[in-house]
Amino acid sequence: MKKLVIIPAYNEKDNIISTVKEIEKEAPDYDYIIINDCSTDNTLDLIRYNGYDVLNLPVNLGIGGAVQTGYFYAYSHHYDIAVQIDADGQHDVSYLSAMEKHLLENNCDMVIGSRFIDKKGFQSSGLRRIGINFFNHLLFLLFRIRITDPTSGFRMCNQRTIAMFANEYPRDYPEPESTARLLRHKRKVEEEAVIMRKRRGGVSSISMMRSVYYMFKVTLAIIIERFR
Amino acid sequence: MMSFRIQAMIIVALAVLLLLILNMVRKRKLELKYVLAWILCDVILIIMTATPEIIDYAAEWLGIFDPMNMIFFLGFVFLIILVFILTVSISRATAKIRRMAQVLSIAEKRIEDLETTLKETGGKSVQE
Repeated sequence: MKKLVIIPAYNEKDNIISTVKEIEKEAPDYDYIIINDCSTDNTLDLIRYNGYDVLNLPVNLGIGGAVQTGYFYAYSHHYDIAVQIDADGQHDVSYLSAMEKHLLENNCDMVIGSRFIDKKGFQSSGLRRIGINFFNHLLFLLFRIRITDPTSGFRMCNQRTIAMFANEYPRDYPEPESTARLLRHKRKVEEEAVIMRKRRGGVSSISMMRSVYYMFKVTLAIIIERFR
Repeated sequence: MMSFRIQAMIIVALAVLLLLILNMVRKRKLELKYVLAWILCDVILIIMTATPEIIDYAAEWLGIFDPMNMIFFLGFVFLIILVFILTVSISRATAKIRRMAQVLSIAEKRIEDLETTLKETGGKSVQE
């Protein structure tokens, strides 16, 4: 069984090495691929120097385009399982085996690593929590399925979902919208309890002003998705 | 009502614009596909300006008092249509660029991997 970890990276010089090392140590049965989305720092140099597997995007595509590159790569190399994680060290890859077990045993199309099932570890900051809760309720309202952590970027997909994401994936802040897409197609999406850490270094890609724009955009996108 | 002077000026301006567009298409600076809408709008505006009766009739029917306003209104509507067509084109172009960047990055990795294998095997065999 071929399994792939997708690591989108934009200016992650502080985190990329430890993230890859952790995968090699904690999940040696997984291949990984870094997608360098035109980092302006020396992320690419570090990757090249260490000889890590990387897809180097010639133009900046944003988080959605970068993650999709990973799914596209997984699709063209016939991976059975692909899991996306953040490069900033938030996601603990020792959970991969539990998520994999969940995916295979329950025959899921996607398993989301959720920090709100056991409510342990880093629970995200106040305002962001409100946003996450909002999407939780919005998805439930529209699709009647409860996703406690719809913005989690820690998600494992089977072959069917890999093909779907390779073909079409939202641009920015893609998690809730792509989950909505799976739910509309009646795909089986379930969650696995994980503990997330605070990001090790660098800055989050989502600033305050942008989150307002994203809230609006993603809400609209999800509602449109419901009526496709 | 519309004076002959403004009528002539508008027609000349529209004709110049039309020639300019066609000339740029001829020189392959514009793609005909994307300027068809421009040409169509331009021609319709020329016809309407040249035959004020149509405008007068349409303006009266719509309840617009001055036919001149009718021309402005039409020009405005056409501009909105043109800008919208541009937005559609940009969306399509963005999707294409995105896919190309992704394919390119994957192809680049394949080349790198092949080069590495080639170095290791000394060029004897690159087949897996």
